[in-house]
Amino acid sequence: MRRRPALCASLGLAAVLLAALAPEARAGDVAFQVVDAKGRPVMDAVVTAYPPGLKADQMRFSWAQEMVQRNLQFDPFVLIVPVGANVSFPNHDPVRHHVYSFSLAHPFELKLYGKDETRSVRFDKAGVVALGCNIHDNMVAFIKVVDTPFAAKTDDKGLAVLKGLPTGQVQARVWHPYMKAARNEIERTVAVPATGSGREMVQIDLRNAPDRRGGY
Amino acid sequence: MFRRLRTKLTVLYAGLFGAALIVISLVVYASIAANARAVVRDELMSSGTVFDRVWTLRANQLQGGASLLSRDFGFREAVASRDEATIRSALENLRLRFGIDLAFIIGVDGRVTGVDPGQLKGADARLMQAVEQEDNPSGVLMIGGVPHQVIAAPILSPTLVGWVVFASRLDANEMQALERLSAIHVDAVVLGRDDKSRAWVAPPGASGLAGGAVTRDLAGAIDAAMADKAPEARDFRAPGGAALTLVKPLKSIGGDGPAALLLSYPMARAMAPYSPMLAIIVLTGAGGITVLVIGSWMLARSVTRPVSMLDEAVQRLSRGENAAVEPTTSDELGRLAESFNSMAAEIRERERRITHLAMHDQETNLPNRLALDRAVEALAAEAGGRGLKVAVLSINVNRFTHVRGAIGYALAAAMMGEIGQALQRLRPGDPIGRVANGVLAVAFMVREVDEARRIAAHLQHILEAPVRLGEHAVDVSLTLGLAVYPDLVDDAAALVNRASIAVDQARAGHNKLALFDAAAYGDPQAKLGLMSEMLGAITTGDIFIHLQPKFDLRAGRTTGAEALVRWRHPQRGMVGPDDFIPMAEETGHIRTLTEHVLSLAIAQQAALKAQGFDIAVSVNMSGRLVGDHEFAEEALQLARHAQGELCLELTETAVIAHPQRALENIERFADAGIRISIDDYGTGLSSLAYLKQMRAHELKIDKAFVIGMAEGQKDALLVRSTVDLAHSLGLKVTAEGVETAMVQALLTAMGCDLAQGYFIARPMALADFATFLQRERDEAAGDSRRGSARRSARAGTA
Repeated sequence: MRRRPALCASLGLAAVLLAALAPEARAGDVAFQVVDAKGRPVMDAVVTAYPPGLKADQMRFSWAQEMVQRNLQFDPFVLIVPVGANVSFPNHDPVRHHVYSFSLAHPFELKLYGKDETRSVRFDKAGVVALGCNIHDNMVAFIKVVDTPFAAKTDDKGLAVLKGLPTGQVQARVWHPYMKAARNEIERTVAVPATGSGREMVQIDLRNAPDRRGGY
Repeated sequence: MFRRLRTKLTVLYAGLFGAALIVISLVVYASIAANARAVVRDELMSSGTVFDRVWTLRANQLQGGASLLSRDFGFREAVASRDEATIRSALENLRLRFGIDLAFIIGVDGRVTGVDPGQLKGADARLMQAVEQEDNPSGVLMIGGVPHQVIAAPILSPTLVGWVVFASRLDANEMQALERLSAIHVDAVVLGRDDKSRAWVAPPGASGLAGGAVTRDLAGAIDAAMADKAPEARDFRAPGGAALTLVKPLKSIGGDGPAALLLSYPMARAMAPYSPMLAIIVLTGAGGITVLVIGSWMLARSVTRPVSMLDEAVQRLSRGENAAVEPTTSDELGRLAESFNSMAAEIRERERRITHLAMHDQETNLPNRLALDRAVEALAAEAGGRGLKVAVLSINVNRFTHVRGAIGYALAAAMMGEIGQALQRLRPGDPIGRVANGVLAVAFMVREVDEARRIAAHLQHILEAPVRLGEHAVDVSLTLGLAVYPDLVDDAAALVNRASIAVDQARAGHNKLALFDAAAYGDPQAKLGLMSEMLGAITTGDIFIHLQPKFDLRAGRTTGAEALVRWRHPQRGMVGPDDFIPMAEETGHIRTLTEHVLSLAIAQQAALKAQGFDIAVSVNMSGRLVGDHEFAEEALQLARHAQGELCLELTETAVIAHPQRALENIERFADAGIRISIDDYGTGLSSLAYLKQMRAHELKIDKAFVIGMAEGQKDALLVRSTVDLAHSLGLKVTAEGVETAMVQALLTAMGCDLAQGYFIARPMALADFATFLQRERDEAAGDSRRGSARRSARAGTA
């Protein structure tokens, strides 16, 4: 079963707005348009950029660093956090959850905690952390731990804008949990304009999300 | 078809009963077979349904197990942390719990854990294809050529890291469990397709039709059945016997197309319970037929025995043996036998009478010619064995018809009877017979011809006594002919004939007794041969004509010719007309001969005409032909082609036999312009009456009178008066046999019109005749110039 797209879309939009407001000298923006094999916009793709001489400290994103459990779902479906971030896992459901991850980036387990309880986990390593609930198979989410301030995820139009990139050639990566690629990620070099906004079209191939209802 | 009634009846009854029995057996068999088929069919269908249920249950069970495992937190943790020992133990645990053959996981990268990848024999590749298309694939997968029921469940932790796969061999043991669920022992096999050849393969040890290998026929039948929308029981003719089959498609994994479940049940197995019943029917039927054959054989025997007896009696009757039968019953057949007996007796009596009549003369009750011939035959056979000779003496009563006219038929017959009895008394034991009205004959054996002659003389002496008939006595005069075999006659069968001929020879010699003289008799066979030779000669041209001039005494030149037939025989040389014409008249061949002569004469007349000579041609016409209408038609047909005057010469005698028809034909000839000449006038029975009636144009005086003219006064007188008679009747006169100048001079003086004879010319061939005419014409021309006397000149040439 799919996530709640409206919530993700609004969060994505907020991220875009916050990035636009950040002041940056001699820098340009690049808008990434991510589409699937059939040309449809792809939501929840994470775009990151690694300009030369990047300092990976004091990274901060405009969105909340939390993974809410609500209506037997994780929210958001994809959460971008910087390395070293403390992510809280508040439970708004009347039932208990047992959040876990077997991801090599950061395996952890939050055993059975109830309504309005919060646990938090610190992620020290960049990578992807797939989240599941041991009680509710349908609950899936991903935390993308990044080591760059230039990160954004696509909205429901498939758009993600990286602002204030230094002018010149920049290495950019696009990641999606269901992308048919090694480590679900592709990399390409993007030209950043001196002023104004550049535009980059990225087409990716997705596999179907696994059916989580199971046989029984 | 059947030679005996009894066989026919038996075969008929047995055949009918047998046919009825066969029909009944067939109907029973057909209904049993149909019933058995229906039972098997229903059972197959329900087995198919049961299998579906079992299959689904099993699939669900495996799926449940796999899902349970794939969602187990600990298992997922083990998978995520690549803890292979834990994974293997968990899989093994579940494999044993569910009693399955293979349990393993296959990662999203295709890595197989829990089982040796070599054991899968490439099936993992197809499995990967399947799981990429479907989350929870379930179906038949061929692993190492053995179909397996396979299910896969994804492992989500929470992302997809791989699949738990359970596989269960669908081999014979597995299928036996299903087979046991059916009420009847259905053979069940799951067939998959070979990885490479795509042919249907069955697991090892499969039972039923697919045991061993899948034949091409079976593969075809499966493909056909798979095309059915709804599975339907079908007949299949396997080498081992017909079977009813049901094919159900089974979902397969790996894009091989559906696998197939083949349920089969041999009809022989279905029919097996009924075989004792069928055997009883067949045995009962065979017993029934045997009893029926014996029964109808005995019944037919009682019916047909009297008939057979009658049949045999009829055959005896036809052979002339005693034909009486013993009536055995008092029913219709018995009465038939009695009737047959009396009929047979009557037939024998009648036959005896007929034989007697056939062998005896009615008037005298003496044996007849037929009886005598047979007796002579028997005698000849006996004499031959004893070295003796057989003599037949023919005894003719002289002037028998006169005697019979004088004393009447009855007494004449009585007279012959008396003589016959006297003869029989004289020659007791010797066969005698009346061979003709006035002829008796006796046959006897002798040592030599003289002995026969003595006996004949002795018999003649005694038999020539007056015969007493009541109060009258009749004098009897006899002529005897004697033929003796083999001295005088070389054919015993001809003895009676030869004796009769000897009588004729005796009479001709004015003797009372003669021995048959073969030399004097001639050979009738030779005469017949001559006739056939004559007919051949007509076609080969050996029979031809010569022309003899008819000289016109007034005109002083030749105006006509008589065509005279000649036969040059290749072996005998010239055959005289007297040697074959009488015989031709007797045998009827005269007609062919005359037609031939006539056509030759017409042809030669035409040839002369072409050389400038108009010659009237005369052809002699036999008295036998004058009354023959058909000949007249033919002659008229031929005469139509004549290029000059034709004349038919005939004698008055010819008219006497059939005056009416002869005169009619003469009229027709005369009407057609053919001249009629009365030949040989003055000899034979010249009748003035016919001379008056016949429409003749010419009269030919016989040479007998003409030749004597010079010497005898009487002949000259007769010729002169005949010439005058003919002239007064309006006829021309031709004199034949003119051989001297004197005679010709006399005839000229008498006013005779035409002359014919050696003095003028002999008969000659066409070429010579033409030369003759030319010379005559030349001389006439010379005469007229010189005015000299030509008679003397002609006399010189003759």
